[in-house]
Order: sequence, then structure tokens, then C-alpha cells
Amino acid sequence: MAVVARVARPFRFLRQNRQAQIIFFLALFIFPGIIFLFTVVLPVAHNPFEASAEDEVAENIEALPDSTPPDIITGRQELAKKMAALEIDQAFFQARVQLSKSDSISLAVDLLDSVLSLEVKGLAMRRCKILRFRSSGLAKRLRSQGRLHQWLAAPFVLQKELATLPKSPIRIKEAPKDTIEANESKGEDLPIEHRDAEFTLQFDRNLTLVVEQAQAPSFSGRLRQLWYDWRRSFDTALDAVVALLHKELPQHRMWIEIEISREDAKAVYRALPQQAKLALRL
Amino acid sequence: MNEAIKKNSSFSAGSPNDENAAKVEKSPPAKTPAAAVPPVRDGAGKPLVLGFSLGLFLALLTLWFAPMLREWMFAVLPESQFALQLRTTDIKRLQKDALRLEKRVSSLRKKYEQLTPRVPYLIVNTSENRIRVMKGNDVIHEGVCSTGSYVLLRSAEQQRQWMFFTPRGMFQIRGKREYPVWKKPDWAFVEEGLPIPSPNAPERFEYGVLGEYALELGDGYLIHGTLYTRMLGMPVTHGCVRLGDEDLRIVYKNLQFGSKVFIY
Repeated sequence: MAVVARVARPFRFLRQNRQAQIIFFLALFIFPGIIFLFTVVLPVAHNPFEASAEDEVAENIEALPDSTPPDIITGRQELAKKMAALEIDQAFFQARVQLSKSDSISLAVDLLDSVLSLEVKGLAMRRCKILRFRSSGLAKRLRSQGRLHQWLAAPFVLQKELATLPKSPIRIKEAPKDTIEANESKGEDLPIEHRDAEFTLQFDRNLTLVVEQAQAPSFSGRLRQLWYDWRRSFDTALDAVVALLHKELPQHRMWIEIEISREDAKAVYRALPQQAKLALRL
Repeated sequence: MNEAIKKNSSFSAGSPNDENAAKVEKSPPAKTPAAAVPPVRDGAGKPLVLGFSLGLFLALLTLWFAPMLREWMFAVLPESQFALQLRTTDIKRLQKDALRLEKRVSSLRKKYEQLTPRVPYLIVNTSENRIRVMKGNDVIHEGVCSTGSYVLLRSAEQQRQWMFFTPRGMFQIRGKREYPVWKKPDWAFVEEGLPIPSPNAPERFEYGVLGEYALELGDGYLIHGTLYTRMLGMPVTHGCVRLGDEDLRIVYKNLQFGSKVFIY
């Protein structure tokens, strides 16, 4: 109680002074209000995934008349759903065929079959079972608009990454001065790496892929994970600030969170080159 | 006067006595020692400062949780678009389109599947130091290997350095050798604390250390055998892929000149 009273003491003026109340609440809400408007309301209203007004009109013109019997509507709905699924499949395979023309290692994430594969030249070198996944509500919206395939049509390009493990476990070794020193260093034990593997890949076209390991992290891994989570949020907030400073609205990212085994996560993260490409099916 | 100041202070702390406070502010400055007390803050100052401070904190929280808030907004807001079935009124056209699309997807799938080599190929996993000899989608053989250690060796004068890693990507077998002889590169001498000999000095050539066979991947990288079999399964090499005798025999037998090797 004493703590509450102590915290509340500076706010005693709010009890009866009307003018002070007005000033306080105005000052309190002006900054959060502006931030809320520019980082939440306006980005939602102008998100790049939402169809434009012209699209709505175009689709509306072709709308069925009100007198259409319900069974015909259901039949068409089924057909349209099938078409949408086929368009997504087409986009996925098109992207993979396109990726196979390049020499670099790429990623194919198939959320419908729960498989993540590491590919080069069209060969899946490693297939990883996706144990669990979650995705942004935006994906659902985009799917219901029948426009998901447009977004998936070309491969995504990696722009930024953040991980709990280093990309290459480099160890620096100074050359021995003579053979005696060289023989001494031969007896040194090899460090065995037991790192937890979690990483975030930010692709172009506002896609973020978050990969988590299925196994519970160790204590040190948990600390690293805390730092990683903090960095991720900080980077997002910083991006928003930078966008606002450039008189642009921060864009909402379509995120996908997947869970795979630690070994898979490690192998995938280490194998991905800079500007790796991704084919996605969801 | 002291009483008046007290009253004023109590105003700034939340007293409702506005009239008295206004009177005090209008009164001329006193010449008593109490006048040395700094002027009492305006009634709006405290709520303004407190409000802004808390507001700033709230603004930072909003900024931090903005992605989550946006996600909630997307979940709450109604979808502005029309349902899928309303795209067209022509059912026959829709059915035709669906059939055409199905064919297209099937041909793309076939095209993609044809990219998998039909002849034996090798997959090297540098993360877990394992190999798989494959043919199409079938596994012919699985085994352990050793790949690059990721050691960065710096020479004593730090003028030269070597990074021992196995490159990733797709490679082809560019040559096959039996009972290969190892021509030791400069780093092999630097690592042992020995002076670097001339390029074709006899001490550069070592026999028997690469096992019975070696397969060339280009740029000096080889798939070869090893004397240090207890190190298999660990990242200890200078970039080559080391295999045990049995695994090496199988790889050598199955992979031909031009066969593909995929390293990740």
C-alpha cells in the first residue's frame, strides 16, 4: 500500500483540479496518439497487400446477379477456390523453376505440405519437416481476395537476417612459430558447438520468415534468445522511426513463424547465402 | 506571506484554492528572506511535465508494440474485398480456365522434378558432417565425413591468412585419381611451423595421406580418404571432404566424371 501511495503522490493534483486534469490528459495522449496514428492506423489503412479501390470496382462489375440460385453460387465458389489453389501451386513451381536456373542455394517453404527444403539447381538437398507454423492474419485476407498467388509469383529475395548463432563458426588461429609450438597445439581439443538455432529472415515484398527450433533452449540459449527477441523488436521499431523520418508510413510485414528441429534450423541458416531467394506456398 | 506561499505550494500539489493562488501570484515580491525561495511553478507546469513524460513512455510502448497492434487491427477489421466466387459469371469459362491451369501446374511440376539427376550424385551436409550417395530420389549409401573447420590461420607476420571452409553449392567431379599424392600447399607448412619450400620442392609431396582415392571438385578441393578416422564426423579439414575407406570406395565407384556433388 505504501508503494502505491508513493507512486500516486505526484498525481494528487488530478483529484480536484479540472484544469490540471485537462492539461495532464492532453499531454499524456498527444504523443501516443500521434504514434498510434502513424504506426498503426495509417499503415493498416494503406497496407500494400490490400486491393485498391479500382480492383474492387473491376470485380464488382462482374459480380453475379442477386437472383442467382444458391447451388450455382456454391458450385462457383468451389471452382473459384480450386482455381485459387491452382494459381498458388503454379506460382510456387514457377518460382522454384526460376530458382533452379541460379547457382546459389535457395529455400522453398511449403506450408501446405509442412516441408521446408534447401535447394540448389532444383535439387532438394535437405527436406525439413515443419512441425508447427503460424502466419500473419494478412495471409488469410490476401487469400480470401484471391490475390495471394500474385504476391507469391516471383521468388522473394533475402534482405536482412538476425540469428542466435553465428553464420560461420570462425576460430582464429595464430600460426605456430616453430614445430615445437605446432606439436603442442595439435593436442588442443576441438570446440564442440551446442548452439541453439533461431533466426529471422527479412525478405523483400514485406515478408518476414521466423524460424524457431523445436527443442527447448539451454539457459545460455535462453539468454541469447532474449537478446535476439529484443533486437528483433528494436529493429522493427527503428525501421518504423526511420520510415517516419523519411515521411513514409511504416509498412506492416507479412510474417510466417515456423518451427523445425534444431539441427535442421542450424543447417538451413548456415547454408543460406547472402541475398538468398525463397519460393513460398501457403 | 509564508502562509501565502504555503497555500500556493499546496495548489501546485493539488489544492482547489485557485482564487487564493491567483492573488498570491499577483502580489508584489516580498523583501523578507522568504523571497529567496524560487518562484512557485505555474499551475499548468506539473501536469504538463508529468503528462508528457508518461505520454512519451506510452508512445514508446506503442511504437514497440505497433506490429502487434496492426495485426490485431487486421484481425478485427472486416475484409473489404469481394468473395472469390464473384469474379466471373461465365461458369464454362471458369471451368476451362481451371483445366488449363491444372495442365500448366502439372507440366511445371514435371519440369521441376526432372531437375533431379537420374545418375548417382553426392550430397554433403557440412553442418552435421554426413554424406548421402543418391540416385534420383533413392538413397544408395549414407555415411560420415569431415568438412572444413572454419579456422582462420594467420601467419606469424600476419601478412597471409587462410580460411579453412568447405564451399557450398553445386559442384561436378572434375577428375578421379587412385592412390593420390598430396602436394602440400603453403598453409600446410605454416600450420606446422615449418619454413615454406619452393613450389616443386620434394618435401611438398606426400604419399598415402589422402587414402586410396581422390575425386576433384575444382579449385584444389578434393573428396579423399584420411589417416585420422577418429576425426570423422567432425569439422576438422582444411576445406576438402574427408571420408572413411569404405565410404570413399562407394563414392568413388558411383560417381563418374561430371557427376554432381551438392554441398550445404
